[in-house]
Amino acid sequence: MLFPKEMAEVELIVPTKDLVAVARVLSGNGVFHQVDSTYLGLENLGPNTWQEKAGNYSALERRIQSVMQSLGLPEEYPVKAEVGSMVDLDAVRPSLDRIEEEVKGVSDQLSSEKKRLELLESQLRQIEPIADVSVNVGVLSKSSFMHSILGVIPAANISRLKTSLLRIPHVFFTLRTDPQKSIVWLLGSKSNFDVLERAAKSAYLNPLSLPEEFDGTPEQITELLQKEIESTKQKISNLEANIAQLAGTHKTELQELLWEIHISRIMADAIVRFGQLRHTYVVVGWVPTAELENLTARLKQASREILIETMATSRSGHHTNVPVALSTNKWLKPIQMLVGTYGHPSYGELDPTLLMAFTFPILYGAMFGDIGQGLMLVLLGLLMHFKVILKAMQGLGLLIAYCGMSATIFGSLYGSFFGFEGHLIEEYIPFLDFIKPIWISPMENILSILSVAIDAGIVILIFGFLIGMFNSIRSKDWAHFLFGHSGVATFLFYICFLAMLGSFLGGTALAPKIAVAINNLPLPFTTLLLAFGFLVMFSGFFRNMVEGHTLIEGKGIGGFLMFVIQSLMDLLETVISMLSNTLSFIRVGAFAVAHGGLSLAIFSLAREEPGLRFWITIIIGNIFIIGFEGLIVGIQTMRLHYYEILGKFFHGGGMRFEPLKLTPSQEEA
Amino acid sequence: MASGVSGYAAISTRVRAMYSDLLTPQDMARLSDSPDFPFLISALKNTPYGKYLSGIKDNELTPRRAILQIKNRLAASFSSVVQQAPEQTRPLVKQMYRYFEVGNLKAVLRSIQTVSSWNPDISTWERVHEVLFPFGSFSTIPAQAMVESGSIASAVELLRGTPYETAVSFAMKRFSTEQNLFPLEVSLDLDYWRRLWAEVRQLKGKDREMGGKLVGSLLDLNNLMWVIRYKIYHKLSEEELINYTLPFGYRVRDEDVRSIAAGADIASVVSRIYPGIADVNVYLENPQSGLPKLEHQLKQQVMKQCVSAFIGDPFHIGLPLAYLVLSDFEIQDLIVLIEAKSSSLDDEDFRPLMLKTNIVQ
Repeated sequence: MLFPKEMAEVELIVPTKDLVAVARVLSGNGVFHQVDSTYLGLENLGPNTWQEKAGNYSALERRIQSVMQSLGLPEEYPVKAEVGSMVDLDAVRPSLDRIEEEVKGVSDQLSSEKKRLELLESQLRQIEPIADVSVNVGVLSKSSFMHSILGVIPAANISRLKTSLLRIPHVFFTLRTDPQKSIVWLLGSKSNFDVLERAAKSAYLNPLSLPEEFDGTPEQITELLQKEIESTKQKISNLEANIAQLAGTHKTELQELLWEIHISRIMADAIVRFGQLRHTYVVVGWVPTAELENLTARLKQASREILIETMATSRSGHHTNVPVALSTNKWLKPIQMLVGTYGHPSYGELDPTLLMAFTFPILYGAMFGDIGQGLMLVLLGLLMHFKVILKAMQGLGLLIAYCGMSATIFGSLYGSFFGFEGHLIEEYIPFLDFIKPIWISPMENILSILSVAIDAGIVILIFGFLIGMFNSIRSKDWAHFLFGHSGVATFLFYICFLAMLGSFLGGTALAPKIAVAINNLPLPFTTLLLAFGFLVMFSGFFRNMVEGHTLIEGKGIGGFLMFVIQSLMDLLETVISMLSNTLSFIRVGAFAVAHGGLSLAIFSLAREEPGLRFWITIIIGNIFIIGFEGLIVGIQTMRLHYYEILGKFFHGGGMRFEPLKLTPSQEEA
Repeated sequence: MASGVSGYAAISTRVRAMYSDLLTPQDMARLSDSPDFPFLISALKNTPYGKYLSGIKDNELTPRRAILQIKNRLAASFSSVVQQAPEQTRPLVKQMYRYFEVGNLKAVLRSIQTVSSWNPDISTWERVHEVLFPFGSFSTIPAQAMVESGSIASAVELLRGTPYETAVSFAMKRFSTEQNLFPLEVSLDLDYWRRLWAEVRQLKGKDREMGGKLVGSLLDLNNLMWVIRYKIYHKLSEEELINYTLPFGYRVRDEDVRSIAAGADIASVVSRIYPGIADVNVYLENPQSGLPKLEHQLKQQVMKQCVSAFIGDPFHIGLPLAYLVLSDFEIQDLIVLIEAKSSSLDDEDFRPLMLKTNIVQ
């Protein structure tokens, strides 16, 4: 739960005779993430025949799909299909050739008739707008003084075409307009022939082209076209009946062929990525450790001579090549979605989902503490989760419900119910006078709540530092453990920085108690601050030293000066970010106070008399607070996590676990 | 319909987080200092692009492959923004993303046109696939089938039912007589920008204002470069120039484009629109080297517009759009760097082409 699933690297040596059986097991279980191991093979074995086979299967699969498409058959696989052996291409081809030939003749004829129908209809549409013009169309092109273009143009180009012709006299008619294209008639003087032609061409005005057999007036041409259209439609209807008959005859055979070729293609694709030796194949991949035993047993059943070497991958060290399979829990799904928006954990790295499942609602609740409004959020979240309302946002339902629960708990700590607090409860809802602040009323203890918020931030940041260091230890990244941005040196510098903050704010009500407590420790914090400051300033240099890289990138005195200035800027940036990161959490307290303030504003709008107007204003005000402030608090919570918390220890960038899958149901899953 | 604060809560937070992950001018300067291509790649692995490069073996990481890999980051940004953008703005973001699909479509058509001059040992699709933007499941064009169809006419047939059907079908008549891809490409460009502008006009309030500013700025850049290039290189007539440009934008007005088309002095028109760009005259004296510089200056104007979108009210579509444009420009910079380092170009040959400098940050 805290870490991605433990993975084991599997290396198989497979005798050539068992190749297909092993490929079937690996592809059929959905647990094996294959790694391309062709580089392990021998180069002088000649061309890889599996490459060719995979290509042939793929081509055959496309042919079957194309035939099924022509017959209007959906690409369905048998419901409980067995994963059989790979199909012999030569055995399948004759059946496919036969069906294809049978279908092709009819479907080619059908598509050619459909094209003809489309052409005839388009010609009819083009001629319709000038149907009542009793002029022979051919005459237009033979005019001595006028140049005329009758044609189709993209509707969007008309205004531009008109603009482009402003400088010459012309007449422009739009005879018919569709959303996509229009039929237009452009007329101008023959002396402007060039301009008219260039303008028409560049506006993509395609002149109308009627076949020579349709000569005469538009009315005569329309009549001829309509007759042709009727006869073509009849032909199409007959051909479609033929296609339906062929579909019924070949449906089962085609579906079975498709399934067989499909699984053969997937297995061949997998085998292409095996490393070929003289008499054996090398297969490399990753399997979740929990599935390893089951897979091994199946592999041994498939091949008695198979050699299986498994290497459990410890979570330490760099594992950029290890695929990451995350545990899935439906209750944590919305939190996982928030983490996923930031990044996919890498192997060995702590999956922050569980941590965020606690911190997100807590920070939200602290900023939006109110029993009544919290319960409303719980209700809203549950209604969304169960798709009663806002179905499109179902994924956020549980998150809202969690935040609502936390807001309810903090509401009881603050003694707030739909904005009624303290004397307001006694005055307006005396039957609920048992609601009293269990802990603190933010409105009456503003500085204290701000100080507590900074303390909470300090705890979270220290926790972030510790997890960051823990991650570095696990990955044995000693350079970052010691001198990284969440490493030991930076952490100790932060502690000294807190001591200084405690000393600076010590006498004020705003002073964070943790910082003051650190400052009270009998340690020479000023000296330590300078010492750790030095380490932080030159952390890049020290990291390079630990990792054995070039210590300073630049050359000569110029390079050295640049390095010192850059280090100084790094230190400055670290100090500023520590200050802003710590003080950033003050918003948690500030929002708790703002929440009370906003409620007071609603009460002042409602006036004092508890009549109908008062209660309507309170209800509308609460709806506004839940909708508006609830959302703003959500943004702030997200911001705190993305900027201040996750950045301390979470890098992301992991490779997703994508196992070989065979059946469509697994692919969908 | 979610809008304003509620619609942009998650996306503006996410975009700000992604924005802070963009490379700084200092990062870019450090990368530019890399002595060669392998050094550049190892430096890039320490940036947010690292995760897109680390999965590939070093010997397979050719400059072309590296470019393809880093483009994956932009694809990821686009799909993240598309998923999180408020519903009413999604068509705009999706249309903006189609810019890369239009690029892919042009590349596919060019490959079909020029295939005969290629090495027959490598399949055409493999060659083309390497240069296509990794559009993933968003793609609507059957690129492989188009390449394998072997002719422009058959490839265009395969575009039926896609958003490009109308644009290419109108241009095909000209292609079949001229046997030149120019009309097809222009038609695709015009159609793309018209649709994008139409999506902006569908928006309301702040979304429309900011969308208009950013998309309009991009449109200005294109419109101006089109009219200048068509005039100088293609020597097109006034009516052709008008038909091959668009009458909308942010700062560039239709009158500006038309006056250039009618023969007005290009430098004075450009200087009037962008008083901040100096030496326009000098750029136009030698268009071969000057026009890329002018385009570079115009892109920096767009970048400034994008950076300014991050100041003030964040609850509008301007923020995600600006981030996406800046990401795209960042990748353009990295492509310049990868090509420069792999061809061992001198600093003075590629540094002036870099967009991300302190000036715009």
